Amino acid sequence: MSRLSNMLKSKGRLLLAVALAGICLPQTATQLVTPEIRRVGDKLACKCGACNNTVATCQMLECHYSLPAREKIATLQKTGATDQAIVNTFVKESGLAALASPPAEGFNLLGWLMPFIAISFGLVAVAMWFKRMSRPRPAAVVAAPSIDRKYQQRIDKELEELE
Amino acid sequence: MENVGALAILLAFCFAVYAVLASVAGKWRSNPFLLVSAERAVYSNFFLLTAASAILVYSLIAGDFRLAYVAGHSNRAMPTAYKFASWWGGQSGSLLLWAWLLSLYSAIVVFQNRRKFRDMMPWTVAILMSVQLFFNLLVGFVVSPFEVLVQGRGIIDVGDGQGLNPLLQYWTMVIHPPILYLGYVGFTVPFAFAMASLISKQKGEEWIHTTRRWSIVTWFFQSTGILLGAGWAYAVLGWGGYWGWDPVENASLLPWLTSTAFLHSVMMQEKKGMMKVWNMVLVAATFFLCIFGTTLTRTGIVSSVHAFAQSPIGVYFFSFLAIGIAATIFLIVSRLDYLKTESRLESVVSRESSFLFNNLILVASCFSVLWGTLFPVISEAVTGEKISVDAPFFNKVNIPIGLFLLFLTGVGPLIAWRRSSVESLKRAFFWPTVGSIALIAVLAVLGIHHPYALMSFALCLFVTLTITGEFYKGSRAIQAKSGQNLAAAAIELTHRNTRRYGGYLIHMGVVLMFIGFTGKAFDKDTTVEASVGDSFRLGGYEMKVREILDGENDNYAWRHAKIDVLQNGQLVKTLEPERRGYKVSRQPTSEVDIWRRLNEDVYVNFAGSDNKKAVIQAYVFPLVSWIWIGFWVLLIGTIICLIPSKVRLQYARTQVVGVASKQYVEVER
Repeated sequence: MSRLSNMLKSKGRLLLAVALAGICLPQTATQLVTPEIRRVGDKLACKCGACNNTVATCQMLECHYSLPAREKIATLQKTGATDQAIVNTFVKESGLAALASPPAEGFNLLGWLMPFIAISFGLVAVAMWFKRMSRPRPAAVVAAPSIDRKYQQRIDKELEELE
Repeated sequence: MENVGALAILLAFCFAVYAVLASVAGKWRSNPFLLVSAERAVYSNFFLLTAASAILVYSLIAGDFRLAYVAGHSNRAMPTAYKFASWWGGQSGSLLLWAWLLSLYSAIVVFQNRRKFRDMMPWTVAILMSVQLFFNLLVGFVVSPFEVLVQGRGIIDVGDGQGLNPLLQYWTMVIHPPILYLGYVGFTVPFAFAMASLISKQKGEEWIHTTRRWSIVTWFFQSTGILLGAGWAYAVLGWGGYWGWDPVENASLLPWLTSTAFLHSVMMQEKKGMMKVWNMVLVAATFFLCIFGTTLTRTGIVSSVHAFAQSPIGVYFFSFLAIGIAATIFLIVSRLDYLKTESRLESVVSRESSFLFNNLILVASCFSVLWGTLFPVISEAVTGEKISVDAPFFNKVNIPIGLFLLFLTGVGPLIAWRRSSVESLKRAFFWPTVGSIALIAVLAVLGIHHPYALMSFALCLFVTLTITGEFYKGSRAIQAKSGQNLAAAAIELTHRNTRRYGGYLIHMGVVLMFIGFTGKAFDKDTTVEASVGDSFRLGGYEMKVREILDGENDNYAWRHAKIDVLQNGQLVKTLEPERRGYKVSRQPTSEVDIWRRLNEDVYVNFAGSDNKKAVIQAYVFPLVSWIWIGFWVLLIGTIICLIPSKVRLQYARTQVVGVASKQYVEVER
């Protein structure tokens, strides 16, 4: 019995140790978000899988993607690489998925244009609807009543008097 | 126990099948016995799914770790509320929640209408139960929550479970999913009535009058669910983001956008007999987007085009969507003769036009979010290469659309139905426009040059002035007539037309939310490693680490920091963020501490510790509290909309262009 209790105690200690290790996990405080890094990082997607942010805006300390990415940007900037060259390096390594937004070229251009194409179509549809709805309905074909001229004059006179 | 649960779902499936068949056959053969038995099958379906859900919840709370679902989503150390929340913490449980809520709604619909709409009800029941059938099929045969853990030929009990994801162990997460689901599932009811009216060839707006309250209530649940999710992300994820354009977040936004469009355009049908086809399209789009949202969150298709094939339920969801959309299109097209517009448009400058533009913008926004969410999958399918469509894309596309929508929120209510004269427009918009321009000038002088922020603040003021102007003018008129004070007159005004003035309050809530969103442009943050006694600065604050404490309970171990916040050398607040390490899941989480104020939140995250140093992330989020205040205003506005008006306004339909036809009928109750 005491052996079982010792086992349970040691299991508990192990769990506590693991939990405390978890607490201490994020040990890198170097966030590396200088304006220069932010400028490039804003163009790159954070691919940690837990957020939809960019390398510059990801705020997770334990992020396994954005922190090394920022360090890499800083290193490349020290070697004198231009912003575009740094972005190209990431694209070369991870493909177009490294970019925060699809490049406006080729098929991906459609990604940018489509919302505005849709709005344009919508506007055209609305304009057509306006035109259709503004058109008076064709009047029903009814034989014109043969109003006596004298009777019509009397109506007009009474209406004038009313006014 | 698990056998009883599984049997209950199986029987519920059978009852759903019966309800569909009996409704259709009963209507077809004019057999009242079959129709009544179909309605009773709806009640039976509800009781059986309630029993199945109760068994699952009991198993989660009691810790029946022979069940795979319980072992995967509950554990002994979790508080009871979170054990209960595990019901919707995983795939099969959340699908059971969907099925149960739909059965509840269906039972309410059948009970409420047991003596009404006898022409339409059989079809309504058939449609509700067809959707029910689909979800019963999933939880009964594809992803059952009552599967047991098996080793060899024996059932095994693993003793303890993995527990709910620690990030989900937060109070809003206990209510966020069911509330969002109440909204998602709830839109099945207006959809069912709309389709039933098409099948039964109803010419009038009966389905709209019947489902108006359903639509508003479910829209409110959708709004609340989205806001609770945003509140959870803000307070739990540790970096103060409340919206990240994540596919799951987008999935909740899509039906909200179309249902908002529907709530506006439905007024055109009620008042003018216009846009009947469009309303059918919107109600159907909202329903299918609710199903699509569930598909997105449950199949993982957005992570990759290949995830679709990996998910056991993806094929079922897409088949259901394909069949449902095809049937709906066929139904609408075949009933176009019954959906003819009854009125003409008299002027482009009219309330009708503003509703139309409002609908266009809401649907365009919905499309752009849907497009951005799906474009990685489309692009991968076409080009073979993965791409990312993250927050920058959505912000670039949706911010201008959102600002235009905000503009329409202010303009729409001031334009009269049928036509507005240039003079009346000048009168209505002069002061709001002057106020907005003046605000831009003042803010620019104060150093705010962010173009979108300036536009947003100006439009917020514009809409606020138009709404308060409407309240003021109406209240003054009542005050002059009745001699009441202005506040009592405003209440009387609102009571006389709850829909209109409740709607204005909802608009006001949206304005307040936009103020909060705009604050995002001015966020400040810093990350430091600090020992006890160290201090650092952020914005106008000095922060000093006073103490770091350790501890543990059954569920997790924790490390806690006490950070004094000083302004001008004076202690103004002590914030106590915490870092937790969950024992079973071995996952760390952050419990941030937030000093919430109207002008800005001070937000501190204890992100970890390195020897004797604490890693502290501190943020200042200007105006963010207005998002939550806006939600409460929206809540009050929605409740007001649901209260019957004291005075009923009836508008005769305009049949011929140029004939004044507004009739005002007062019915004092």
